[in-house]
Amino acid sequence: MPNSQVKQQGVATSKIQSNLGVEAANAMMSKTFRYFIITIVTLVIGLLSFFCALSFGAAEISFSDVWQSFFANEGKDLGFIYRIIWELRMPRAILAFLAGCGLAISGLILQTVTRNPLADPYLFGISSGASLGVVILITFTGSVLTGVAPVAAFIGSLLAMVMLMLIAGRRQSQQVESMLLAGVALSFLFSSITNLLLYHTDPQAVTAVLFWTLGSFSRAQWDNLLFPTVVISACITIMLAYRRQLNAMLLGDESATTLGINVNRFRIIMLLLSSLITATLVSMCGGIGFVGLMIPHIVRFFISQGSMYGILLTALVGGIFMIWVDILSRIILQNQELPVGVITAATGSIFFLTLLYFRKNRPN
Amino acid sequence: MSIASNTAKASLLTTEHLRWCTDGNVILDDINFAVNQGSFTGILGPNGAGKSSLLRCLYRFVKPEQGVVCFEYQDIWQLDANDYAKNVAVVLQEAPSHFNLTVYDVVALGLIPHKGLFSRANKTDDEKIAQAISQVGLTHKVQQSFEHLSGGEKQRALIARAIVQSPKLLLMDEPTSHLDVRYQIQIMELVKSLGITVIASFHDLNLASAMCDNLLVLNQGKLVAEGTPQQVITTTMLSDVFGVCAHVDQHPQHNVPHISYYYGYIQDNVNLGNEHA
Repeated sequence: MPNSQVKQQGVATSKIQSNLGVEAANAMMSKTFRYFIITIVTLVIGLLSFFCALSFGAAEISFSDVWQSFFANEGKDLGFIYRIIWELRMPRAILAFLAGCGLAISGLILQTVTRNPLADPYLFGISSGASLGVVILITFTGSVLTGVAPVAAFIGSLLAMVMLMLIAGRRQSQQVESMLLAGVALSFLFSSITNLLLYHTDPQAVTAVLFWTLGSFSRAQWDNLLFPTVVISACITIMLAYRRQLNAMLLGDESATTLGINVNRFRIIMLLLSSLITATLVSMCGGIGFVGLMIPHIVRFFISQGSMYGILLTALVGGIFMIWVDILSRIILQNQELPVGVITAATGSIFFLTLLYFRKNRPN
Repeated sequence: MSIASNTAKASLLTTEHLRWCTDGNVILDDINFAVNQGSFTGILGPNGAGKSSLLRCLYRFVKPEQGVVCFEYQDIWQLDANDYAKNVAVVLQEAPSHFNLTVYDVVALGLIPHKGLFSRANKTDDEKIAQAISQVGLTHKVQQSFEHLSGGEKQRALIARAIVQSPKLLLMDEPTSHLDVRYQIQIMELVKSLGITVIASFHDLNLASAMCDNLLVLNQGKLVAEGTPQQVITTTMLSDVFGVCAHVDQHPQHNVPHISYYYGYIQDNVNLGNEHA
């Protein structure tokens, strides 16, 4: 083949390659744009859900009253409606949103660093550890919630995590499997200690603990919203900063190591974040299961977990889901409130099964 | 740590008296070799010979008990892990499942050693990722889930990730296993076209002979042969190390040794070493 012909062929090949590069770049741009639109739509749904949470309840408040309450002169124009919205429903809706965000993010962290799609704070004993901490506090002090409850919950979950890491050991090749098995064992161990404590305590404390373990947002007040807001915002920010490292963990420990990540240290940092979120929320809202397991799956069904939007949407969808769970808990029975944990498990399992059905029938 | 020997100074990566044990078993013992810049080195050996363990020592996943691995004359354990990752990319066979990562997400992981915590991918990074994806021929799959790709496509996506990492050295652990012959040749030609230094382990001796400039043969954790394919691929080596009878002649088109195996002559008395290495 003459030289000029070879040169021409070379130019043509590089042109094709460059066009393919542009094509790939365009495909990536359209994907990012799609994710951006999905995020905006979810944000709008989130705002509407907030409106619904402020409107629905034992005392029916119209949307126009809710809207007016944002601009009303404190208490003078709307009277008791203003107080219901701003003193009862708004802090409660915010706490529900924060709990949903936090638990979903906590589940996402655990599923990612263990590469196990079934991982959630309950599976690792983190929730049981936090519960044990609070139950010990309730048993010995007799009060359901004091300022030290978050500290007790955090110490409990930290204890669970330290035990988990010690049992899992330093050997990287078996760490994840050992962690999962140890987590299940610890979860049962802490639950049995909790039950033993309850068995020997007075019936009034047992009732308080039972109600608390089923989950509720009824203790929401403006004063105690700052701490979970700071914790969850900080954790989401850290996750966004480490999003590439989190994705790398999905390819395996060896692969992540070759990208310059100290896998053991990174996993411990992420487990600490997850413990912090879980402990904060367990101490304020009690035990709410299933959200950490379910929400990351739902989001993953629609968009890639790898993008920044994946993390943000997991938090947003978790928050929106919990707002609606709280609304349902308040309106299903008249003049009575259902425990949040019951609704998350019931609605979540039905939704999850439906999703699995569609996933099974979805073409690749 | 600098290398004293003169041969090491012309090399990109060297090992000196490398020894690694696990659970009291010696997996690698007294391994010495040097890999020159721009060369393609193949690691051969029977199952359990220590090929993957040697690669693990080279990509800094396990620390040798004795001896050193040097990259550009420096002990790799004295280097920062992130700096090492900027220079050395690794393609393994692990793949995520049940997690909806797209091809783009997987390829973008190659940016990790080069980006700060809060930094976003800029236009140059996006172009780099797009070019790498087009180079491995996965442009039409850029938005597809990684877990739904075929074995060959997954391997190509991981190579694209390595391209984005912009390494001086590429390490590959059995890059062609589980692939059909077309994909084997395609993947190897793609890797050769990158023009960077490559060290890869192989099970297919004919493919290694055709693709590699140098071969290292391991048996029971020891380096038993080293050199060009012509020097290494011999009937004696095949008999001693792999316990097979074979005829070695020249490839009809390429000037490399070609192996034809004789069936029914497996030597049972050959010690094939520790299966778990």
